[in-house]
Amino acid sequence: MVHMANQIALFFAGYPHDEAVAGVTKHIKDFWERRMRDQIKQYVAEGGGGLHELALEAVKRLT
Amino acid sequence: MSTRIYVPCDAAALAMGADVVARAIETQIAARRLDAEVVRNGSRGMFWLEPLVEVDTPKGRVGYGRVIPEAVEGMFDRNLIEGGAHPLCIGLTEEHPYLKKQERLTFARCGITDPLSIDDYKAHNGYRGLQRALNMSASGIVDEVLNSGLRGRGGAGFPTGIKWRTVLNTAADQKYIVCNADEGDSGTYADRMIMEGDPFVLIEGMTIAGIAVGATMGYIYIRSEYPHAVRTMRRAIEIARANGYLGTNVCGTGKSFDLDVRMGAGAYICGEETSLLESLEGKRGQIRPKPPLPAIQGLFGKPTVMNNVISLATVPIILDKGAEFYRDFGMGRSRGTLTIQLAGNIKYGGLVEKAFGITLREAIYDFGGGTATGRPLRAVQVGGPLGAYFPESLLDTPLDYEKFAELKGLVGHGGIVVFDDTVDLAKQARFAMEFCAIESCGKCTPCRVGSTRGVEVIDRIIANEDRTKNLELLDDLCELLLDGSLCALGGLTPYPVLSAVRYFPEDFSKPASLPVASLSAQEKQPWH
Amino acid sequence: MALIQEVDYGTPARTAGQTFTLEIDGKPVTVPAGTSLMRAAVEAGVQVPKLCATDSVEAFGSCRLCLVEVEGRRGTPASCTTLAEPGMKVRTQSPKLAKLRRGVMELYISDHPLDCLTCAANGNCELQDMAGVVGLREVRYGMDGANHFKTPEKIDGSNPYFQFEPAKCIVCSRCVRACEEVQGTFALTIEGRGFASKVSPGGTQFLESECVSCGACVQACPTATLIEKSVVEKGQGEHSVITTCAYCGVGCTFKAEMQGNEVVRMLPYKDGKANHGHSCVKGRFAWGYATHKDRILNPMIRSKITDPWKEVSWDEAIDYTAGEFKRIQAKYGRESIGGISSSRCTNEETYLVQKMIRAAFGNNNTDTCARVCHSPTGYGLKNTFGTSAGTQDFDSVEQADVIMVIGANPTDAHPVFASHMKARLRQGAKLIVIDPRRIDLVRSAHVQADYHLALQPGSNVAMANALAHVIVTEGLLNEEFVKERCDLVEFEKWRKFVAEERNSPEAMEQFTGVPAAEVRGAARLYAKGPNSAIYYGLGVTEHSQGSTMVMCMANLAMATGNIGRRGVGVNPLRGQNNVQGSCDMGSFPHEFTGYRHVSDKAVRESFEQDWGVPLSDEPGLRIKNMIDAAVDGTFKGIYIQGEDIIQSDPNTKHMTAGLSAMECVVVQDLFLNETASYAHVFLPGSSFLEKDGTFTNAERRLGRVRKAIPPMQGLGDWEITMKLSNAMGYPMNYSHPSEIMDEIARLTPTFAGVTFDKIDRLGSVTWPCNDKAPEGTPIMHIGQFVRGKGRFLITEFVPTDERTSRKFPLILTTGRILTQYNVGAQTARTENNVWHPEDILEIHAHDAEERGIKEGDRVSLTSRAGETTLHAHISERMQPGVVYTTFHHGFTGANVVTTEFSDWATDCPEYKVTAVQVAPARRISEWQEQYLETRKQTTQVQNA
Repeated sequence: MVHMANQIALFFAGYPHDEAVAGVTKHIKDFWERRMRDQIKQYVAEGGGGLHELALEAVKRLT
Repeated sequence: MSTRIYVPCDAAALAMGADVVARAIETQIAARRLDAEVVRNGSRGMFWLEPLVEVDTPKGRVGYGRVIPEAVEGMFDRNLIEGGAHPLCIGLTEEHPYLKKQERLTFARCGITDPLSIDDYKAHNGYRGLQRALNMSASGIVDEVLNSGLRGRGGAGFPTGIKWRTVLNTAADQKYIVCNADEGDSGTYADRMIMEGDPFVLIEGMTIAGIAVGATMGYIYIRSEYPHAVRTMRRAIEIARANGYLGTNVCGTGKSFDLDVRMGAGAYICGEETSLLESLEGKRGQIRPKPPLPAIQGLFGKPTVMNNVISLATVPIILDKGAEFYRDFGMGRSRGTLTIQLAGNIKYGGLVEKAFGITLREAIYDFGGGTATGRPLRAVQVGGPLGAYFPESLLDTPLDYEKFAELKGLVGHGGIVVFDDTVDLAKQARFAMEFCAIESCGKCTPCRVGSTRGVEVIDRIIANEDRTKNLELLDDLCELLLDGSLCALGGLTPYPVLSAVRYFPEDFSKPASLPVASLSAQEKQPWH
Repeated sequence: MALIQEVDYGTPARTAGQTFTLEIDGKPVTVPAGTSLMRAAVEAGVQVPKLCATDSVEAFGSCRLCLVEVEGRRGTPASCTTLAEPGMKVRTQSPKLAKLRRGVMELYISDHPLDCLTCAANGNCELQDMAGVVGLREVRYGMDGANHFKTPEKIDGSNPYFQFEPAKCIVCSRCVRACEEVQGTFALTIEGRGFASKVSPGGTQFLESECVSCGACVQACPTATLIEKSVVEKGQGEHSVITTCAYCGVGCTFKAEMQGNEVVRMLPYKDGKANHGHSCVKGRFAWGYATHKDRILNPMIRSKITDPWKEVSWDEAIDYTAGEFKRIQAKYGRESIGGISSSRCTNEETYLVQKMIRAAFGNNNTDTCARVCHSPTGYGLKNTFGTSAGTQDFDSVEQADVIMVIGANPTDAHPVFASHMKARLRQGAKLIVIDPRRIDLVRSAHVQADYHLALQPGSNVAMANALAHVIVTEGLLNEEFVKERCDLVEFEKWRKFVAEERNSPEAMEQFTGVPAAEVRGAARLYAKGPNSAIYYGLGVTEHSQGSTMVMCMANLAMATGNIGRRGVGVNPLRGQNNVQGSCDMGSFPHEFTGYRHVSDKAVRESFEQDWGVPLSDEPGLRIKNMIDAAVDGTFKGIYIQGEDIIQSDPNTKHMTAGLSAMECVVVQDLFLNETASYAHVFLPGSSFLEKDGTFTNAERRLGRVRKAIPPMQGLGDWEITMKLSNAMGYPMNYSHPSEIMDEIARLTPTFAGVTFDKIDRLGSVTWPCNDKAPEGTPIMHIGQFVRGKGRFLITEFVPTDERTSRKFPLILTTGRILTQYNVGAQTARTENNVWHPEDILEIHAHDAEERGIKEGDRVSLTSRAGETTLHAHISERMQPGVVYTTFHHGFTGANVVTTEFSDWATDCPEYKVTAVQVAPARRISEWQEQYLETRKQTTQVQNA
C-alpha cells in the first residue's frame, strides 16, 4: 500500500507542490476503495513512515 | 611507332583459338625483337574467317583469315609485320566484299578498335552523340530518336522514341534505363558482338537515354551464357566512370547517370521484358501482364526505358549525325539498318549490317554464299525460334517489319537460320512446340499446358494417327496460343508451327515415322 | 437459412475519386479509375469466366479464360488485367471468345483427374463451374498425355487443418499470391517452370515451411488442391452464420459454414470491416475447443475445494450460490463479495455482471480481466485526449507513412492486422519498432524496420521522453496543431520538462541501452511523417509506469500533430476479443458504462432511476485489492465469469492464498480451469458459437456474435447471470441480449445510437454512435479532442523497483505466440498444440553459455516470487540479459514467477519486468509437482 501510494506520488512529483498534492489526493479518492483509504489513513495517523512526502500530505487531505 | 597486330577477343574468335594465336604472335614478336604489339579487338563479324588477324600497315589493315597457331611462324617469315603475302592473307580487310557491301552504322567501330580503350573509342567518333545530347533539351533528344524512325531491334519493332516519350512524360522520383542483353534467340549474336567489341557505344547510348528521360540508373541484363560480355561490360563501365562519363557528374554537367551489370540465370523467358524486370528485381522470371507498361511502371514499379542492346547502341550515331541521316537508310516504316546475323547451314556465317529492304535472297546468297553443304536450300527461319519457316519461294521478301508481318513472319532480332533439303519440317514444328514447352515460364495456361499438348499432337501426326483430326486440333491449339497467350513465347510459337504446315505440307503426310528424340536428350540447345 | 455465397469481383476494389462510365455487353456501368474490366463487368451484372482471378489479390492474367473483346482494339485482352477506360465498349461473349475459352478449359481438364463426384470440393469447385460455363464437352487431347494425376505426388497432410493435393492443382497461383499479398508471409512459391510448374511451400512440407496456417491459401484455392480437412471429412456446409471471432482484439468477422448444428468450417467474411476476408490460424481453424470433451455441461457444487465436484441442476446451483453470497454478506458485510467479468464474453454479458454486482450485491466490487492488460490505456488516453480508447480504425493504417510499433508483436498476437500493416509497409511506409525482442516485424519477408530500438525492459518512459526531447529541441514540433488543439499552459509545462537535458537520448541511454543517435533518427522519422501512427500493446501497459507510457505516446502524437485524421493516431492493440467492450461496459469498480465515475451524481442517478435501486458512490475493489482483502479476511465471496485469474494474473502464490481464504468462489467457464481448482461452485458457460451478442474490437467496432448452435449446457451466460441476480433478490427480465443493448444505449451517451438492428444493417458500427454520429466514428478527435483541448502530461521516468541483482541477474519479459492464445483454455484444446505444445524460455546464446545451458535443456526460472521449470531455446531474438516466455500453458506457471508490482495508476501488473535467475534443472519445480497434485485432486467429479 505504501509502495502504491509512493508510486502515485512519484508521478505527480513533476508538478508544482499544490497541484501535485491535489493530484495524489484525487487519484486515491477516485480509485481506492474505502478499506484501502482507511488503512492508509490509519498508517499515516501512526506516523506514515516510508511514505513519500506528497503521499503523506495527500492522505492527510483525504476526507 | 610500333606496329599493331589485331587478334580479336570476341567469343566467336576465342572459340576458334584466338588466344592461342595471340600468344603465338607475341612469342614471335619477342623472339624476333620486333617493334610490334598485339591488340585484342572485337570481331569484324566474318566468322568463317576467325581468328581474323589484322596488321596495321601504311596502306591499311591487312587481314589473315582462319589463322591457326601452327601458321604463325610462317606468317612472320613472310613478313607479316608489313602485311606480307601469305595463303591466309585476304588483302585489305576493309576491301573485303563482305564488309565493303555493308552499311555499318551501329557496328561502325566493332572489330576496329580496342574495346576497352576509351581513347580509341573517342578517336573513332565516340561520345560525340552524348556531347550533342548534353546540349539539347530532354524533349529534343527524344524527338531526335523519334524522328530517326528507330524501332526496337529486340524483335518487337516498337518505335524507340515513343517509349522514351512515355517515360519522359511520366513523373516519378526515380526512373531507370534497362538494357535487354538476354540474347537467347537461335542464330543471334549481334548484342554479344557489340558488348564484347564496342562496349562504350552501349554505355553512351544508355547514358543518352538516361539524360533524355531523367533516369539516373541503368542496368544491363546479360544472359549468363555470355561471360566474356559480362566481363567486358563491367570493365568498360569502370573505365567510363573513371573518365567522368558515368557517375554523379556526367561530363561535368552535374547530371547523374550510372550503370550496373546483372546476370541472368539461364531462362529464355527472361528475354521477354516483363520477365526480365521480375528477374532483375530478384524474383522468379515470370511474365507480368501489360498494362501497366514498363514505361509507366517498370523496374521496382518505376518508369523504365527497356531497350535491346542494338537499339541503345544505335542511339549515339543518331544523336551524332542527326535523325535524318539515320532515317535516310531503309524502306517503308523500317528505317535505318538491320544487323542481320547469318547462321545455320550457311557458307559464310556472320554479321551483316545493311539498310532495311535487302531481300532474304541477297542476304543469304550475296553475303552468305548459300548453304554450307552445297545442297539446295529448302527453308529459312528468320527472327529466332519463334520466327516462321519460309520456303525458297519467299526468298525475295525484303527484310522489312511490315512485309514480314503480312506473311505471318518475324524480322525479329535479324537472325537468319538456313536449312538445306535434308530438313524435315514436321520435326522442326515439333521442335518449335517443344522449345515453347521447355522455355515456358508456366504462368499462362495456353503456353504451360498447350505447348506440351502441342508436342503430343504433332507426335501423333508424325505417327499418322488420325492425322486430319489432329491437324485440326493443332490448328485450334495454335489459334489459342496466338490469341490467348500472355506473352510472345506462346503467342508466336504458332508461327514456326503453322508456317511449317502451310509451306511444307508434304512433311506432314509422310508415312508414319518413329517418335522424334526429345530435345532434352539431344545435344544441349544447339542454337546457343 | 442458406449458404452465403459472397460475390467475387475478380479483382480488388479501387477507390480513386475519379469515376467514369463504360459499356459491358451494352450495359452502362460507372466505376472508379483503375477498375478492371472484369470487376466492371460484375458491377454491371455480367460474370466473365475466370479461374486465376479472385478479388482478394491483384490481377495476374494467367488462366486466359476471362478474355474479352474491346471495340476498336485488336486482339482479345484479359479482362482482369485490362483497366476500364471512359467510353469503352466491351463484349464478353462472341463465337471467337467461346472457342478460346473452351480451348483453355480443354487444356486444364487434360491435366486434371476426373473424379468430381468423389472430390471434396464437389459442389464448390470453380474448375468444375467453369467447365460447365464454357460448355466443355470433349477433351480432344485425351487423358493419356503428360499429366500430374496418374502417378500423383503424395497429399501433404502435415498441417493439422488443411491438406494439399498437388494432383488437383491448376497452377493458378492464387494460393501463392494470397500468401504474399493478403498474409504477407511469402511461404509459397511456384517451383519449376512450364508444364512442371507446381505450388510448393518452399520445397518442404507445409508444417515445416514458413507457413503460418492463416488459411488464406485454402480460401483462395479454386479447386480441392488446398482444402480444409474438416470439409474432406464432413462435406460442404448447407447454411452459414455470420459472426465475430472470439480470439484477439482484431475482431474478425467470420462466416461459420454449418451442417445443422455442426460447424464444417469457419471462413473469414469479406465484408468484415476489421479483417476484409482475412484470418489467422486461431480464428480460422482453432474452434474445435467448443466441442472438446473437457467441456463441462452440468453445474457443479462442493462445500470444500478438497471435495469432489457434485453435479447439480441449474436451479440448485443458483440457489446454493445466492444462499452462500447472502450468508456471507450477512456475516461479513455488504462489501465482502464481488465479481469479475471477462473480456472474452459479450458486451451484454459483461454489462449484466457489473449490473448484478452494483444492483444485486449492492457494492462496486466489480472488475474485469482488462485490469491486467489494458487498464492503463483507458487511464492514459482519458487523461490526455478525453476518451479511453484508441483513436483509429484499422483501415487508417493504409494512409500511414511512418508506423511506430511499441511493445507489441502484431504478427503473433494480432496477425490479421499485422498482415494489413505489412501490406502498407511493403508499399513503402517506414517502420520504427520499440521492443526488447527482435520481433518478426523487425525483419521478415519484404518488411524491414528502419529503426529497431531494442530497449531494456522497463525503460519505455525513458525512451519516450528521449524521443519527445528530440522533437522539442530540434524544432520538430507541430506548433500550429498544438496552438490550435491543445491546452497551452499544460503544453508549456511539458515542453520545459522534456527539453531538460536529463531527458535527452544521450542521458537516457544509461536506462534504455539504445544508442542516442538511433533514438534521434527515429524521433526525426516519426516527427517528419507526414502521417505517423503509433500502435502499441501490452509491452506498454504491463509496467509499473504503464499509464505514464500511454500518456507519453499521447504527448508525442499531439506534439507532432499526429491525431485527428486518417493515417495517424495512438492505437492500442487489444489482447482479447472484447477488452474494449468490457471496459466500455462499466466493469471497472470506479465507473459506470462509458467511463463515468460512480461519484458523478447525475450519472449515478440516471442508473438508479433506470435500475430502481440506490447505488454506491464509492469506488469498489480491483482484482488485486479483492485478493488482498481476502487474505486480510474481509472479502469472502467472488463470482468469476470467464477469467482464469490463477493462471493469468501475477504472483500465483498470493492469488491462491486469496482464493483459498474465501468461503464461496464461483467460476463460470467452459472448462475446469486453474481457478476452478479453488472454486465451490462451477457454472458451465457457453462458447461464442452458442450465444447472441456483440464484441467491441480494438477499433471500438461493435460486431455481432450470432448463435450458430444452441448452448450446449442449456443456458446463455447472460441467462446464468440473470438467474443469479434474481436469486439474489434483484429482478432481471430480459428475453434477448438485444434488450440488454437497448438498456446500455439508453444509459450511455456514446452508445445512444447502437441497436442490434443497426449493427445487422451496417455489418458493424464504431462508437461513439449517437445522434451526432449515427453510423459511428471510425476516427476520433477530428477537429477537437473529446475533452476539448488536448492535455500534455508530465511523464517523469521512474525506474521500476523490480531490479536485477546478483541473485536475480536477468530480466524476464512475457508475451504471446501466434498459435496459442492467452491461458490456452481454447487453443490448447485444439490441434494448435502441434506448433506450440509447451511454453519455452528464450535466452540469448551468451546467457545460456554462461550457465551451461544447451538448446532444449530443462531449466529453472526463479524470481523472488517463485520458481518453475521449462525448456530453453537459444534465440537470437533476445538481447543478452533478457529472457522471454509465454504463459499459455498452466503447467508452466509463468505467473508463479511474476511479482506483485503493478502500474501506479491502475494496478495493471508489471508482467513485462521480473528479475530472475535461470539455471539448468533436472526435474520439475516444487510448485509444478504441487500443481499436478492439486489439479488431480480438485478436478474430480463425483460419479452421480
